[in-house]
Amino acid sequence: MRHVADGARVGAAVTLGTVTALLEAAYLLLALPFLGNPNVAAGAVRLAALEARRLHLDPALLRLAPDLEEGDGPDGGRALRYLAARVPVGVLGGLVLTLLVYGVGMAALLGRAWLTGGAFDGMTPTVPLVSYFVLAGVVALFLVLSGVAGVYALERRLARRLLAPDPTEALHRRIAELAESRAGIVTAVDAERRRIERDLHDGLQQRLVALSMLIGRSRRGRPELLEAAHEEAQHALAELREVAWRVYPSGLDSLGLGEALAGVAERSGVPVQVTCELPERPPMAVETAAYFVVCEAVTNAAKHSGAGLITVDVRRCGTMVVVRVRDDGAGGANASGGGLSGLARRVAALDGGFEVDSPVGGPTTIVAELPCG
Amino acid sequence: MRVILAEDSTLLREGLVRLLLEEGHEVPAAVGDAAALLDAVAAHEPDIVVVDVRMPPTHTDEGLRAALEIRRRRPAIRVLVLSQYVERRYATELMSGDVEGVGYLLKDRVAQVADFLDALERVGAGGAAFDPEVVRQLLARTSHADPLARLTPREREVLERMAQGLTNASIAQALHVSQSAVEKHVNALFDKLELSHTAGYSRRVLAVLRYLES
Repeated sequence: MRHVADGARVGAAVTLGTVTALLEAAYLLLALPFLGNPNVAAGAVRLAALEARRLHLDPALLRLAPDLEEGDGPDGGRALRYLAARVPVGVLGGLVLTLLVYGVGMAALLGRAWLTGGAFDGMTPTVPLVSYFVLAGVVALFLVLSGVAGVYALERRLARRLLAPDPTEALHRRIAELAESRAGIVTAVDAERRRIERDLHDGLQQRLVALSMLIGRSRRGRPELLEAAHEEAQHALAELREVAWRVYPSGLDSLGLGEALAGVAERSGVPVQVTCELPERPPMAVETAAYFVVCEAVTNAAKHSGAGLITVDVRRCGTMVVVRVRDDGAGGANASGGGLSGLARRVAALDGGFEVDSPVGGPTTIVAELPCG
Repeated sequence: MRVILAEDSTLLREGLVRLLLEEGHEVPAAVGDAAALLDAVAAHEPDIVVVDVRMPPTHTDEGLRAALEIRRRRPAIRVLVLSQYVERRYATELMSGDVEGVGYLLKDRVAQVADFLDALERVGAGGAAFDPEVVRQLLARTSHADPLARLTPREREVLERMAQGLTNASIAQALHVSQSAVEKHVNALFDKLELSHTAGYSRRVLAVLRYLES
């Protein structure tokens, strides 16, 4: 039964293909003088998408769906070439179908004449004649049906061949993507290092110089300053701890992401609400990236947005760890700013997705999707 | 002396102010950025300004720019620049222009209170003070083709201290030799470096350092 339904579907597709082939031939002839016109190309893309649907192919896979990404959009020239190539195949389908209709019609006439006891074309139903016609009819029917199926298969192959992205091209695109994310990661690492240098020089070094000065002054006849110097040494140690933690949160390894994020919430000046629901520990690289995304986003929100509450939500969705940081601040965050673009690069290096949604007036939502395995 | 401080770290600024007051200097103003420094200099006419190179807003070289500005507008005011690390360009920029009373110290030098105060006094008196580390790095760049390569180790020691802005008397003290011996070394190395030896003591610092820069 299913085969009959499939057969009917294929037959319908080929029949429709004959009609569209004629329409497309007319379209191509009319459009010939205006091939450079974008509307002609857009029309061709739309026709090619219809053909893809007729052949039960996904237009998106054939890059016919209007895509927002640069260079990923449908290619009008490609669609026009495809249409030109498929018109003859469509016509061929029409001819095969004509043969089928003719054969079936003939068989019906012959059957009716013989069944009503008449003669057909001067022939009366004798055993050899009936056997001969049945045999010839079955063979002819088989050939014609194969022809219909063949035309359908040919149509599908043609569409895939002329419309689907070339694997080499896909590889080229992937290589370009990787080169870009690699360069991005280098930039991000450099920016981190600059930040660490600043942390050391503008924080810790000042404290240590101040501490040495206190000791120096106390040696020059102010022994009571030793007390202050001792206190300053404690401050310097605390500063060192913080800088080291900012360089790499060592607790992340032992405590896991949830605990480390709770630490971020504790240290933040703005209230932070953390939900971290992960069934198992994601890979180290993912944990670290997630941690830094939250860290940077929370720091940004506390510094620039004037938010009263920041909500952090980390959960597993399929093969992805999704990190969502939302604040109720003033919005207008600049995704191309230093901190956020650094995060975007870090996430891109893991083949993840990174989105910043920050309309003026808020709220700001930052979403990072990190693939695990 | 009347000292104006420009340093963005509150902690260090307060410490320095206390130190200077304890040493008997006056501190009419202590500020945290370059713009405020220029205003304070205009308002108080200090003898000397002590400037941190990195200050807000960009934390690059605002302090140095301000110091150069002050030197251009009011050559009488001495300038002592504090830097996080040795930056040859800054040293060179400070030394361009034939003026005296300039110093370039590493910030860490402040921690050695006696050295810092000593350098401050030297610059305040119209001399020069260059951080030993700055001098060491400038000297380290010399190649064998360099006339410096022809100096004896003793002459090199004398040159290094000379470049820091020390007088012959202080060099003699530091190296535990007589002052006449130092003078002999100085003349010998001036000959080797083809420098005129008629210049005053801070001019000779600039001359030596410029020579090293060339």
